[in-house]
Amino acid sequence: MPTGITGFDEIADGGLPQGGVTVVLGGVGTGKTTFGMQVLAKGAIEYHEPGILVAFEESAGRVVANTSGFIWGGEALKDSGVHVIDAQLSQSVERSGEFDLSGLLAIVAAKAKQVGARRVVFDAIDILLSCLGDAASIRREAFRLRDWVNESGLTAIVTAKADESGERSTTDFDFLQFMADCFITLHHRVVHGIALRFIRVAKYRGATHSANEFPLVITRSGLELAANTSMGLSYPVSAERVSTGVERLDAMLSDGYYRGSSVLITGVPGTAKTSLAAAFAQAAARRGERTLYVSFDEAPDQIVRNVASIGLQLRPHIEDGTLVLKSLRGRAASPEAHVAEIRAFLAEFQPQNLVIDPLSALFQNGFDQVSEGAALQILDVAKSRGVTMIFTSLLGTATALNEQTPINVSAIADTWMHVSNVSHAGERNRTLTIVKSRGTDHSNQVRELVLTRDGITLANVYAAGGEVLLGTLRWEKENADQRAREMTKNEAIVRKQRAQLELAETKFHMAALAQKVAIQEEELVQLKKRTTAEVETRVGEDQERLERRHADETIATAPPSGATAEGAEAPNGRDRQ
Amino acid sequence: MSDDAKQDVRVRLYLAGDAPNSLVALANLRAVIAEYADVRADVEIVDILTDPERGLRDGVFVTPMLVKFEPSPVRFVLGSLCDRRFLLTVLGLHEPPRE
Repeated sequence: MPTGITGFDEIADGGLPQGGVTVVLGGVGTGKTTFGMQVLAKGAIEYHEPGILVAFEESAGRVVANTSGFIWGGEALKDSGVHVIDAQLSQSVERSGEFDLSGLLAIVAAKAKQVGARRVVFDAIDILLSCLGDAASIRREAFRLRDWVNESGLTAIVTAKADESGERSTTDFDFLQFMADCFITLHHRVVHGIALRFIRVAKYRGATHSANEFPLVITRSGLELAANTSMGLSYPVSAERVSTGVERLDAMLSDGYYRGSSVLITGVPGTAKTSLAAAFAQAAARRGERTLYVSFDEAPDQIVRNVASIGLQLRPHIEDGTLVLKSLRGRAASPEAHVAEIRAFLAEFQPQNLVIDPLSALFQNGFDQVSEGAALQILDVAKSRGVTMIFTSLLGTATALNEQTPINVSAIADTWMHVSNVSHAGERNRTLTIVKSRGTDHSNQVRELVLTRDGITLANVYAAGGEVLLGTLRWEKENADQRAREMTKNEAIVRKQRAQLELAETKFHMAALAQKVAIQEEELVQLKKRTTAEVETRVGEDQERLERRHADETIATAPPSGATAEGAEAPNGRDRQ
Repeated sequence: MSDDAKQDVRVRLYLAGDAPNSLVALANLRAVIAEYADVRADVEIVDILTDPERGLRDGVFVTPMLVKFEPSPVRFVLGSLCDRRFLLTVLGLHEPPRE
C-alpha cells in the first residue's frame, strides 16, 4: 500500500503491507505521528482511501493542528477523509483490575465502517498498553490488536515510543516487532549541533526492502526520504546549448553550457563566483526561462544590489516572475532539510534553470557523508527534471591551491570552472580556467576575468617570459603590442608613399625624355631643310661663277626635289672632275 | 446505617460484549450492589459492541469502564473491578457490619 511519503515506497517494496500491521518505533519528536497522519492524508487525497487515527497521547484537535504546517494538513483533512478519534485516557481515570482493547476495537471498527476507512493508525499505543501493567496482558492485547487488523482488512500503523537510540521501545514492548508485519524505526541524531532524522525499515515480512538507514526530513510537504536509491542515471540529455551570460565564455565552451547539464564554479571568496552565476541567471531570464536562484546566507535584495554594480539587472526579471530568488540560512537546518526545501521549490516553481550559491553551504561541518549525499541529491533532482544547474562552491584558501572540491560533486558536474586570485606586481586579479567540460570542445587557456560596470568579460592572458600577465601588466602588454602593431602599420604606409613618389618621379623623367626626343627630331628636320637650301644656293653660285669664267662645260643642274641625294653627289661629281 | 442515610447510587458500566474482563466487571459490580438492599442503585449498562456510537460519543474507548455519577463527584474506574474495597469507596458505600 503506497504511503505517499516521497522516497519511502521505493525502499519498502512499494509501501506498507496491505492488510497488515506496521509498527513505527521512534523517540520523542522523531515524526511518528506525522508519519501516520501523512500516510492517512496521502491515502485519502491521492488514493481515495479514507483513514482513521486513534490518538492516545494527544487530543484530536491537537493532532490535526500539528499537521497544519504541511501542505496536505490542517482542518481540511476531515473533509478529505481523515478522521481522528480522541482516545486519550483521562488523567482522572482510576484503575482497578484488568481491562482490554475489545471495546476500543469495536468502536474503531464501527467508525471505519461508517467512513469507509481503509487505513488506521493507532498513535502512541504504548500509552495505553503501559496502563495494562503486566507483561502478559500487554502481549495479549497487542496480539488482539493484530488479529483484529487481520480480520478487518484494514491496513494499520501502530506507533510507539522508543528510547534515544530508536531501536528499543521505552517500555520494553520488544514483542511489537515480532507481532508486526513491517517494523520501522525512526530516530534522531544531533551531529555538530544539527538534528538529523533517520528512518530504517528493520523488518518487512515477505518483501524485499532496503534495511539501510536513510536520512529523513520534514518539510512543508511532510516527511520525505532523502534517499533516491532507485534513481538511475537515465536523465534526459540535450544537445541544446544555453548561454553562460558571458559572451567570451560561451566561445570558450564552444557555445555555452549544455541544457540540463550541471556546472560547478569553484573558487575562494571574492573570485566572482556569484557574478558568474548571476550572469547566467540574467541571460536565462532574458530568454524568458524560469530560473530559480537559491542563495545561502545572503538576502535576495543584497544579491540584486551587488550584481547591479557590474551591470547585471535582475530586478526586472524578479518582477515579471521569470526569476525567483530564495534565501536559506545555511546553519539553520540539516543538509537534508535544505535539500528537501530546494526540492519543494523545484516542484513549486518548475524552473528550467537552477542556481545554488553556494552549494558548499551544505558543508558547514566538513565533508561528511550526509552533506555530500545532500549535494548529490540536489544534482540528481535537477538532472532528472532536465534543469540546467549552476552551483558555486566556496573553497578554503588551502584547498583552492590544488583545485580540490570538498565533494565528489566536481566529479559529477558536467562542467567545472575554477576562478582564482593571482597576486602579482601589487595587484590581485581574477583568472578563470575551465577545468573540465564534458562533451564540449573547450579552451584550455587561462583567461583573466574582468568585472566592469557593463558586465563580465574575459581577457586574454599574456604569458611573457614564462610569467602570466594580468591586470595592469596585461594592460601594459596589450598597449605595447598595440603600439608595435601601429608602428608596423605606419612604416608600411610610408614605404608605400615613398614607392609612389619614386614611381611618379620616374614617370616624370620619362615624360621629360620624350619631350627631348621630339625636340631633337624637330631639330633634325630643320637641319635637313637648311642643308638642301644651302646646297641649291651653292650650286647657283657655282653656275654663276662658271658663267663669269665663260666655261665651255655646263654643270648639270640638280632637280628641285631629291636635291639632297643629287646635291650630295654633286660635290663628289665635282670632286671627280 | 439508618433509613435516613439511604443512598442513591447512579453508575454506568461500559462493556465489550462478553469479553472476559467486561463480564468480570459486571459481576463484581452487581455483587456489591446486591449486598446493599437499602441502596437505590441506578445501573446503566452500555455494550460498546452493540452500540459503538455511544462509546465514541461519550469518549469511552477502553472497557470495562465504570462511570459513577452519584454520589458526586464523578469518578471513572477502568478495569474488572476486582478490588471490592476500592469499588465500595468509589460508590461511596461503607463496609457492612459483620454479623
